[in-house]
Amino acid sequence: MSDASPPIAPPGAGAALVTAADLAVGYSAAPVLTGVSFALHAGERIGVLGPNGGGKTTLFRALLDELRPLAGELRLAVRAGTVPQTERSRLDFPVSALDVALMGTIAGRPWWRRPGRAERAAAHAALRRVGLDALAERSFGELSGGQRQRVLVARALVQDARIVLLDEPFTGLDNVSAQRLEQLLDELAAEGRGVLIATHDVDQARAWDQVLCLNRRQVAFGPPAQTLTLDVLAATYGRSIVTLPQDGGERLAILPPHHHDHDH
Amino acid sequence: MFEAFDYPFMQRALVELLVLSIAAGTLGTWIVLRGLAFYSHGVAAAAFPGLVLADGLGFSAALGAFGVALLFALTVGRLAAREEGGHDALTALVLVAALAIGVVLASDVFESGANVETLLFGSLLAIGADDIRLAALVSALALLATFVLGQRWLAAGFDPGAARSLGIRSPVADLVLLALIALAAVATLSAVGALLATALLVVPAATTRLLTRRLLPWHLATVALAAAEGTAGLWLSFETNAPPGATIAVIAGGGFALVALGRAAAAGLTHLRARKVVAA
Repeated sequence: MSDASPPIAPPGAGAALVTAADLAVGYSAAPVLTGVSFALHAGERIGVLGPNGGGKTTLFRALLDELRPLAGELRLAVRAGTVPQTERSRLDFPVSALDVALMGTIAGRPWWRRPGRAERAAAHAALRRVGLDALAERSFGELSGGQRQRVLVARALVQDARIVLLDEPFTGLDNVSAQRLEQLLDELAAEGRGVLIATHDVDQARAWDQVLCLNRRQVAFGPPAQTLTLDVLAATYGRSIVTLPQDGGERLAILPPHHHDHDH
Repeated sequence: MFEAFDYPFMQRALVELLVLSIAAGTLGTWIVLRGLAFYSHGVAAAAFPGLVLADGLGFSAALGAFGVALLFALTVGRLAAREEGGHDALTALVLVAALAIGVVLASDVFESGANVETLLFGSLLAIGADDIRLAALVSALALLATFVLGQRWLAAGFDPGAARSLGIRSPVADLVLLALIALAAVATLSAVGALLATALLVVPAATTRLLTRRLLPWHLATVALAAAEGTAGLWLSFETNAPPGATIAVIAGGGFALVALGRAAAAGLTHLRARKVVAA
């Protein structure tokens, strides 16, 4: 199935993969998130920052076509693949890592055809790519948190998603797993995919190409070095930001969220 | 000991149960996986007024039941399959309304009171060739649909938020599942009745769920268990002169309780051993 997929554009080239212009999204008439304007190009990693309830997941649901814009415009050049947060119900699902990767082949074939040899080969190739082919037959729920995220990345690879959304993929990961996942995201961007990562870790987002700060509205969008100012962070995180005295000056710290329910 | 199965009516009942367990086993697995247990109880109960109407007006019972069940599937079922919550109360409401309408129709409009118990609890010992044919049709459809649409049902249940992104854009696959469950519920009516349909459709799958970790073994184990519990229930009902539908339901419930207890005991034992290892 990989030979049927269109070639991926070189980094930074061509039209935007995602364009949002004054976008508003929400679940009923009242929008949860307003004034979102940004563009994601091939080869870019955008960190999506914001507090719980700030609209990160809502934005992702709009990008996945689960929510229609209430106002403004949202254009995707191609379909997005997603690496969702791990929910408990998913952990005791009777599926192997390979089964999950195979779910990425559904869009690529007519509805009456079952996954065949080509699809299985593509799924194995994607699992190899994320370093998990040896665990292909392992139950999804038995994998570690980092391994589960990588299986879901493999699913997006099988889909050949040129836009990849990751909803707080680093939450609960140990350092080694987090580094491994971060490297994988760098590789995805390097091969010309557009990557959107929702995260709580401001320091981590500094290494990426752009940051999108959300707090029920778009606070800022731009390269991290210029965008992540004190004012922007304060407006993004509101009261959960504190200054800590440190030798030679003060340092900002963002309080960890009190609870981990999803912001939808 | 097994001379019970020398009687033709017992043989027909046995064939009906064995054929039915193929549908109940494959669909039961999806019912449990997708959280549609209450829906399947509701859709079986909703078929009851359809049966009464068919009986009173003299058209095919299966047609009447399936008509009403399909209506239920397209309204309440669609909400249930979306897994957004809030459909439980609606399911309960429609379920009670269906039972009440069925009883009123049976007792006051068509005065077919004697039939009500048969419709609610099945008449396994009066199975006809038509019942077996319907069961065979449903089983064949359940196998075919599982073969073709299984991956979509699995993917949509695993990650509902990503379904559209994965290419499952149309709700047709889920509607087929809901309609098939409705059809299977109708097919089980003649065997165990509207109120006990879940004894075949849900309980065996919920039991084997505790013992399997992949879809295919789960499907196979559920078909085998449904067949075994159906056969055991039928035989026991003959020996004890108890109603067969209820006997099957009791055996299925007992089977689930035993497996659940066994698993809890095994988990407790493992924990105890781990404590000893730590203490040593």
